Amino acid sequence: MITNWERFISNLPVRLATGRLNRRQLLKAILASTAVAGFASANAGHAVANAPVAVKLGKEQRAFMLQMSKDIYPHDGFLDDEPYLKVVDSLIKEAETDSAVAKMLNDGLIDLDQRAYKIYNSSYAEVKGYGAREALLRQIETTDFFQKVRGGLLFGIYDNKDLYAKFGYEGSSWEEGGYIDRGFSDMTWLPQDPRVKGDKK
Amino acid sequence: MATKIDLNDDSVVVIVGSGAGGGTLANELAQQGIRSVVLEAGKRFTFDDIENDEWAMFSKISWLDKRKSAGGWHGAQNHPTLPAWIVKGVGGSTVHWAGVALRLQEFEFKTKTVNGDIEGANVLDWPISRKELDPYYDKAELKMGVTGDITGMPHLPWNNDFRVLAEGARRMGYNEIASGPMAINSVDRDGRPACQQIGFCMQGCKIGAKWSTMYTEIPSAEKTGKCEVRPNSMVLKIEHDKSGKVNGVVYADVDGNIHKQKARIVCVAGNSIESPRLLLNSESSMFKDGLANSSGEVGKNYMCHTTAGVYGVMPEPVNMHRGTSVAGLVSDESHNNTSRGFVGGYMLEKLSLGLPFLSAFLVPGGTGWGRGVSQALEKYKYMSGVWICGEDLAQSQNRITLHDTDKDQYGLPAPVVSKTPHINDVNMTNHAYTTMKNIYESVGSKEIYNLPAYPASHNMGTNRMSEKASDGVVNKWGQAHDVKNLFVSDGSQFTSSGSENPTLTIVALAIRQAEYIGKQMKSGEL
Repeated sequence: MITNWERFISNLPVRLATGRLNRRQLLKAILASTAVAGFASANAGHAVANAPVAVKLGKEQRAFMLQMSKDIYPHDGFLDDEPYLKVVDSLIKEAETDSAVAKMLNDGLIDLDQRAYKIYNSSYAEVKGYGAREALLRQIETTDFFQKVRGGLLFGIYDNKDLYAKFGYEGSSWEEGGYIDRGFSDMTWLPQDPRVKGDKK
Repeated sequence: MATKIDLNDDSVVVIVGSGAGGGTLANELAQQGIRSVVLEAGKRFTFDDIENDEWAMFSKISWLDKRKSAGGWHGAQNHPTLPAWIVKGVGGSTVHWAGVALRLQEFEFKTKTVNGDIEGANVLDWPISRKELDPYYDKAELKMGVTGDITGMPHLPWNNDFRVLAEGARRMGYNEIASGPMAINSVDRDGRPACQQIGFCMQGCKIGAKWSTMYTEIPSAEKTGKCEVRPNSMVLKIEHDKSGKVNGVVYADVDGNIHKQKARIVCVAGNSIESPRLLLNSESSMFKDGLANSSGEVGKNYMCHTTAGVYGVMPEPVNMHRGTSVAGLVSDESHNNTSRGFVGGYMLEKLSLGLPFLSAFLVPGGTGWGRGVSQALEKYKYMSGVWICGEDLAQSQNRITLHDTDKDQYGLPAPVVSKTPHINDVNMTNHAYTTMKNIYESVGSKEIYNLPAYPASHNMGTNRMSEKASDGVVNKWGQAHDVKNLFVSDGSQFTSSGSENPTLTIVALAIRQAEYIGKQMKSGEL
């Protein structure tokens, strides 16, 4: 849904609107947030009426979100839980001061669990097999809830300077003088300089 | 002491925008002694602002005012508020351009003559030829410092990522393979250093090896004392007198205060979304459909190149992030060979992305997650990448319009950017995907990812040049057919997109336009 981004922009005073934006707001511009009414309507038929409007997300929800996060960007044997937990914990922290976020996360987790019970008679985190859990997540991938968690992970995993090296990415280079003397053309598995007709210089 | 020009000084040229078109024009006029005020919507950046960080720079320099994507392209869903990826700041999109400095080919000036009318498209010949523009291309290359014969500067050294493309292309029998022409210094030149293979060209060059009006044309213009650049100044409307000549522009400053700067001549160079938007927003009782729009073509024929990305996982490490982002081109497919099933051609341009951007664009939009994405990203070190940049045919339905109800932070109707690929684009993209598959497989890749178009950085055509006033918005000088002291000075003048990155052509046109304006002012025509 584009409305959050639009709302953000339209609520800004003129002067601030031209200023710098934080990463979550940016995410709204660059990533789709194609969330539709699916979230609300998916809940409608289920017994969520008793769910509190905003709850403190506890240990159980934390573990649930950890599993969900690892299923969104699985890196088995490549990353440990720590970077995922950092993202989960920052979402939980955000929910502590923002009841709309708390409700979004809480309702989203309940909804996902209900979908798991309906098909597998099991809570989401207990569903066996990555493919089965991914399929459940595909059902909710257009919701604000899912994209909220995914957005946190996109930055928390792939724009995380502590993890760059793990992926073979080296990040900022100007401080080191670029790569002119540090391997910009160090491949040995292809010809060093296969210049052909056309590159006269 | 910076030059100050009075708001009521009606002898000046007002230039809207400070990028490749506006920034160049300001300097070219200043060198002739012609005074100008440059109104730039964005702020002024310095080298200290430039970071080697993809998202940090995206947030810092991108044009993120309210815009809507529409039409049949995937971005209408996947990039609903970011149809185009351009810069808001002094220097405009020359801050983030990659430096590829190609000339349009002769046939690309004659789209209609060469290929005839094309169903569903609205193609037209430029009112100028390659031959007419060549002297200005020469001047542009000397000004910008483009590697190659004109400057005598060698092309850049080949980096890993380009060597993959080059060797693959060679094995497939291609031979137009070069690491230039690039407007990036390969040796120290013109007070700017040689490229240090830093990478992050599109986040702004940290050392100024790449040409940008931010640190070349703009300061040169200011140094003459003939040019005042006003950052954070968003032009809202162009006004005209009773005779229909423009006489000034209304703009909002950084505090939202509204001013009118009087003008003898107004030159619009706000890129292909803002420029037509400004003309449309400048409607009046005399110009009911918008300024300079008697043809009805303002905002239409929006072209942004037929583009796509291809990333291949190679058998050995590549480290594509090491070095110049786009210094490497294969041009064999850029010619007009209709036996391929489409008109026009496409360039293959090596393009490295960092991990942060690749994770967002490998599968763009809300569905880009899951094991397929995460496992691909684990092979980042082994990836090599290319950007396909092909001719995009003018279509009337691809256009900039004003939203009925949504307004931006200045209270102006938000622009809606509609883009639907032509079947020619689809056929070309498929051909290019196959070409890249063959190239990457020939160097041992067994895993290849096809990416759809990114939000467009090449935006063209929305105030196009035409011989006849009924076919377009401006004449061969970029001068409005309807209003003789109104000019368009950016890529929105383009009649066709060609397959080449547009900046060099924008600069060449701006140099030529400045010469024309100077002569016209001297003779009293303007």
